[in-house]
Amino acid sequence: MSDALILNVVLWLPVAGIVYTAAADERRPDAVRGWSFALMLVQFALTAWLYLRYDAADPGLQFATRLPWIPDWGVAYLIGLDGYNVLLVLLTAFLGPLVVAGSWTAITKDVRLFHAMVFLIQFAMLGTFVAQDLFLFYLFWELMLVPMFLMIGIWGGERRIYATIKFVLYTAFGSILMLAAMIYLVWSLKTTTGVASFAFADLYGAGLKPAAQSWLFAAFALSFAIKVPIVPLHTWLPDAHVEAPTAGSVILAGVLLKMGTYGFMKLGFPLFPDAAREATVIVMLLGVISIVYGACLALVQTDIKKIIAYSSISHLGYAMLGLASVDLIGIQGAVMQMVSHGLTAAGLFFMVGMIYERCHSRNLADYGGIAKLLPVYSVFFMVLTLAAIGLPTTSGFTGEFLALLGTFRTAWQAHAAGNSTMLWLAGVAVTGVVLGALYMLWFAQRFLFGATRAPHAEHVRDLSAREVGILAALVAAVFWLGLFPDEPMRKTELAARQYQQLVGGARAVAALPATEARR
Amino acid sequence: MNVQTVLVSMLPEHLLLAGLCLVLVLDILGRAPRTSFALALGTVVAAAAAAAVLSAGGYAAATFVGQLSVSPATSAGKAIVLVLAVPVLMLSRDEFRDAQFPMLALASLYGACLMISADSFLTLLLGLETLSLPVYALVLLAMQRKDCAEAALKYLVLGGTATGMLLMGASLLFGWSGTLAIDAFARALDAPSALARAGAALVLCAFFLKAAIFPFHAWAPDAYQGGSVPATAYMATIVKAAVLLAVVRLFGAAELSPAMIALVAVPPLVSIVWGNITAMRQPSFRRMIAYSSIAHAGFLFFALLGAVEGRFQAIAFYLAAYGLMSLVAFTALPHDGDDAVDDRIDSLKGLFHRRPYAAVTLAIAMLSLAGIPPLPGFVAKFLVFRNVMAAGHTELAVLGLVGSYLGLYFYLRVIQYMFMAAHPYGATQAALRRHAFAASLVCLVPVALLTVFPGWALGLLRG
Repeated sequence: MSDALILNVVLWLPVAGIVYTAAADERRPDAVRGWSFALMLVQFALTAWLYLRYDAADPGLQFATRLPWIPDWGVAYLIGLDGYNVLLVLLTAFLGPLVVAGSWTAITKDVRLFHAMVFLIQFAMLGTFVAQDLFLFYLFWELMLVPMFLMIGIWGGERRIYATIKFVLYTAFGSILMLAAMIYLVWSLKTTTGVASFAFADLYGAGLKPAAQSWLFAAFALSFAIKVPIVPLHTWLPDAHVEAPTAGSVILAGVLLKMGTYGFMKLGFPLFPDAAREATVIVMLLGVISIVYGACLALVQTDIKKIIAYSSISHLGYAMLGLASVDLIGIQGAVMQMVSHGLTAAGLFFMVGMIYERCHSRNLADYGGIAKLLPVYSVFFMVLTLAAIGLPTTSGFTGEFLALLGTFRTAWQAHAAGNSTMLWLAGVAVTGVVLGALYMLWFAQRFLFGATRAPHAEHVRDLSAREVGILAALVAAVFWLGLFPDEPMRKTELAARQYQQLVGGARAVAALPATEARR
Repeated sequence: MNVQTVLVSMLPEHLLLAGLCLVLVLDILGRAPRTSFALALGTVVAAAAAAAVLSAGGYAAATFVGQLSVSPATSAGKAIVLVLAVPVLMLSRDEFRDAQFPMLALASLYGACLMISADSFLTLLLGLETLSLPVYALVLLAMQRKDCAEAALKYLVLGGTATGMLLMGASLLFGWSGTLAIDAFARALDAPSALARAGAALVLCAFFLKAAIFPFHAWAPDAYQGGSVPATAYMATIVKAAVLLAVVRLFGAAELSPAMIALVAVPPLVSIVWGNITAMRQPSFRRMIAYSSIAHAGFLFFALLGAVEGRFQAIAFYLAAYGLMSLVAFTALPHDGDDAVDDRIDSLKGLFHRRPYAAVTLAIAMLSLAGIPPLPGFVAKFLVFRNVMAAGHTELAVLGLVGSYLGLYFYLRVIQYMFMAAHPYGATQAALRRHAFAASLVCLVPVALLTVFPGWALGLLRG
């Protein structure tokens, strides 16, 4: 079987899963869970195989499939892996089986529909990442709303309807403007070059006028910024996270938010480089505000889920900084930060779900001394907390450190050229690291240590083998990225260089040797 | 005029007429309504197939010079209308046991076909009346309902107004150009004469009224709510499709002058916004669909802003996607007995647990109407706005898209009720309605085709 075919199988396997759940028997939920888990595992195995086969030295699209789909408009079914998406696809496929395993006991209502929705989300997320055609990308991007809407709305908490409608209305507003921008973009490509195409590779060369670029960039950026989310467009996130079931939170934090940063990296910045360069300082400023503001909000929350929700906003601010820096190290750091946050936030949401299943409370004040009550749980919790803070040897360190380093390199250059704004911003961003350590450690201290108390403490048991398995897999991945970041980063390096070239243009390429010389 | 041309080019119409006569005779002979129903269904399928074959074969002929001509595009339009009629007829079978519904529907479909291929205002008017008059009776068929007479009367009176406006407009155009050919309308659009412009505006307003465009929309919610489900389905899909296809033909190859752009863009834009906002507050499902159809009529008229060569394709694709998806929604509605209760959106609560198939198909229909990809509703909307933007009306396209965003909420509310709420009147396990189920399958096959192969469908409708 050729590798391109395997990528198609990976993408379409969830659809097979949906068909399976439609035909399955609602009275035997364990069979549904088991088969769904098996399918997800197969999907992950195939993705891992593709990841191993991925050639880091090839800058082009790998395992590509190109079929004409709507020839009149130049729309093609064009999918493939490249340095931008390879790690994110791996992350998505990795979280798939964990999500199914993690909902084993938590979801007892409409089990078939739940798994169908998990599959649909998986399909949409993978599709968004592997699509190399703007039309296809948009298709998957919007499709993602539907299963998430149902997942939060059906299996969510008390205010689930409010949260899910808010989530959909926020994200859909961004996408409708993106749709308008997309139509305009493709149309101008056709009028300037005569090529009717939605392929990213063609659109990069659209050569738009700066005035048009600013509008289009604004539309795309709005859509992606809502998804990331960047302050002040973040207000849907805490609600969605708090009300979503564990699986929903894990998917949201693990992969969905990365769609925003991925969108910036793959489309927002490179499609409209002139506008993006103009907006660099604004994007950095918003990134820094997200980092600091998110951290401050996380500090004062009393709801465990909200702490992690706000920490997501803070952590993805680093990814935005790294991308806006247009520095090779910064970009690489941004990608690592996305993946790392996907792992740690997913892990922490799993852990919140596990304690909620036992004690039925998310109120931090109800807890204390969990370390004595649930020792195994606490060890995992501490490891994931430290990874989220960015302790060296964990993935969080790789991401945060590189993103900040890249930002400083760009900021220093700008400073040398007489503009210190970026340097100030980068300086403020560093305080986010301290704040991050503060809120996470304070949270862990109140949660794990002190006098032992928890609702229903007398019935509480430590982690089951299934739960240990989920967390062990996540922790292993966290250490893999922390200890051996070299291997995955080689696979993303060429894409980072391409991004640098597309966004930075002549400036970045000329500036690079100068930096090397200064060191 | 030669006999062969008349026979071949109007084959769909002839089949409908023959079927209608047979059904009438069978009814007089007192045969079982079941036979009439099967015959009517067969007739419509055959007519649809004939239209499709004519269109695919590229058949074009001037059947009656100056009055009626056939082109691949008109045949494709007829095929769409007739295909939409198949599920409507099937849907009617669950509610109306006797042969009246199929009879009236066949007569009305004949008018639709006539209207789509009209070359002169005379034929157009003939088609429009033949299309509309049976529909008044269709609405009245559900006489046991409370609001039924009111609905039919409103539809009748306002339909009469539309006819009046059309006649007035046509006579003004006749006075200006000395001809009843519908090209006069297109030429009048950018003519310097006040007479011509007034005529064109009146004709356009008549069609606005028929398609329920703001500010001529107020009849639609009452008519939709008062009629039965199949009658509403007929009005929302087939009447709308026939009217819009006639409009495309009317506009022909006319480029819009700036003054006309305002006339063609503003009422539809307001329709989109007003329809979508008002739909949010409706307690009745059919009323909500009426407002949704007002918004969709806005999108359809928007397509006229695009370049000439893309108009037919955009409108025909939109009609097919919109019609099929609305019909899927109608086939999925609960039918537990009391129509007034069934029609409340509240009664959709918990539908997923009572009838999962209906809930899932209704959800798909709502998502498609909301324009969520990859469903055909999205491709249709994309096509319209792509054409509008390509014609240089960027601001209008953005406004229209933002207007379509407003509709998202009420479509989602239906899904929310079905999946996220418990049934308010206690769970009743409604029996599966055989014909509605079959009708939904009939709709879902072309829906799947349009979803998976939109490129192929667009190629067929290139016009």
